[in-house]
Amino acid sequence: MTTREWHVDGATWTAYAAGRLDPVAQAAVDAHVVSCPACRDGARAQVVSVEPLWEAVHTAIARPRLPRSLRVLRRLGAPEDDLVALAASDDLRLPWAVAVGSSLLCAMVAGLASAHQDAFFLVLAPLVPVLSLVAAYDATDPVRELAGATPYSKLRLALLRTTAALAFALPLTLTVGLVVPGLRPLALVWLLPALGLTGGALLLLTWLTAWTAGGVVALAWALVVVATERTGDVTVLTGPAAQAALAAVGVGCAALLVVRTTTLHTQGVPR
Amino acid sequence: MTTARLEGVSKSFGRTRVLQPVTLDLHPGVVGLLGPNGAGKTTLLRLLASVLPPSSGRIEVAGQDVTGTHAERTEARRRIGYLPQEVVFPRGMTAFGFLDYVAVLKEWRDTAARHAEVRRVLGLVQLGEGATRRVARLSGGQRRRLAIAQALIGAPELLLLDEPTTGLDPEQRASLRGILSGLPGTVLISTHQTEDVSALCDRVVVLDRGAVRFDGSVPDLLATAAGRVYVGPEANVDAVTTWKTGTGRIHSVGGRPLPGAGPVPPSVEDAYLLLRGSSTDHQGARS
Repeated sequence: MTTREWHVDGATWTAYAAGRLDPVAQAAVDAHVVSCPACRDGARAQVVSVEPLWEAVHTAIARPRLPRSLRVLRRLGAPEDDLVALAASDDLRLPWAVAVGSSLLCAMVAGLASAHQDAFFLVLAPLVPVLSLVAAYDATDPVRELAGATPYSKLRLALLRTTAALAFALPLTLTVGLVVPGLRPLALVWLLPALGLTGGALLLLTWLTAWTAGGVVALAWALVVVATERTGDVTVLTGPAAQAALAAVGVGCAALLVVRTTTLHTQGVPR
Repeated sequence: MTTARLEGVSKSFGRTRVLQPVTLDLHPGVVGLLGPNGAGKTTLLRLLASVLPPSSGRIEVAGQDVTGTHAERTEARRRIGYLPQEVVFPRGMTAFGFLDYVAVLKEWRDTAARHAEVRRVLGLVQLGEGATRRVARLSGGQRRRLAIAQALIGAPELLLLDEPTTGLDPEQRASLRGILSGLPGTVLISTHQTEDVSALCDRVVVLDRGAVRFDGSVPDLLATAAGRVYVGPEANVDAVTTWKTGTGRIHSVGGRPLPGAGPVPPSVEDAYLLLRGSSTDHQGARS
């Protein structure tokens, strides 16, 4: 094989670029290209075609790795862009923790110290998800101003973040309900009110700001509990009839939310 | 072609009116928004970016009524790139991660295309090498370039930049001018840097106390100051402002020249100061 009789063909270049040539053939290509202008041009063409590969390598290096929990969700088929939005919510962990923690602390103190412990716990515990929702929506988002000027659905962002916040808040609230003396009977009964209130807050979010929606829902629920307590036994709210009604409210709000987001979507608003 | 239109747009916060009814049409090209602090520049940009609702009037971006339905506002947002005056970056994020997130917010759903776009804008602002660095470890200038990069994602039709050159060194400012002057859409820059306006802008809008005091080309703005700027051994009488130059002579903007003073070509800054001086009882600027 001399430099005059032989040129590097496409298949050889591909194998060379991929590192599949044996050392002798690779050395032959190296030596040949040094003395053959035509093959040097061929080498340049290979360099051009390798550019996308370099781009991919650079991107793979630069792209931040998702947290382990989100990588699990990706394997389960969660959309990558939703996971990126969730991963960017790391800064909201502190406000979530403050909102949930302070609410739970109030419930615990009330539960331990007050004769109205049931009412206090029933007012505060179902509001934990609502507080999480408000904190998660936009109240403390450092890029709120930027996000506000983008077309991404703020409701979708709120739902994603609320789901993430609830994954943290629900077990904690359940634990407090089970651990604090006197609250054990109430440990689970706040879940259905919480469902109804969160559904209501999300529905209102399609019209109102996060703080207003959260405030309206919190005030309405507090009035319901206080009024019930004044008329007699607040534990009526934990009875089957009230629980069924609250579950119905939650399901109704969820259905209305679907209708509302569908309507907005048909008007061109992203889901 | 009109990219954006404001018709009688005003904004009040409580009893304080920060923007008088403003009517403006924005066309492709670079428009400089000049004005003192509190003139309403940032409010105007925030209104156009649809992050703030107007108190009255109508705002259109790319034919979509920003003050109209949710759907129209969303469609308008697809055409906008926005750099706020201050960008607070999420802690712990890398430059690439931050842009990736903003690209998601701008509906870049396809991962490969989104990453290619992120790399493109990182390259545009010369931050390709810093892609993997945490934002907290970037210098002030690098963070500003990163903030500019997020606004460039998707090559928006309307680019709204609030003080984009703050914190940039002269080379970076020149580089940014190169980027902005090459963009095909409409760029509205709020700035205090009159050099940026003279170097870059086809058109200047001067805001003062929430009202438009001037709207025209840079040559038109300069023409308002022609023959009103002097350099001489002494300051002009009743000058809007004066300063001693490096040669020891006095640069006077406005006022009546004294013997020995000669007129010099005005700069955009001179014209702006004159405009401010004539539109207000601007005692603070007098020296």
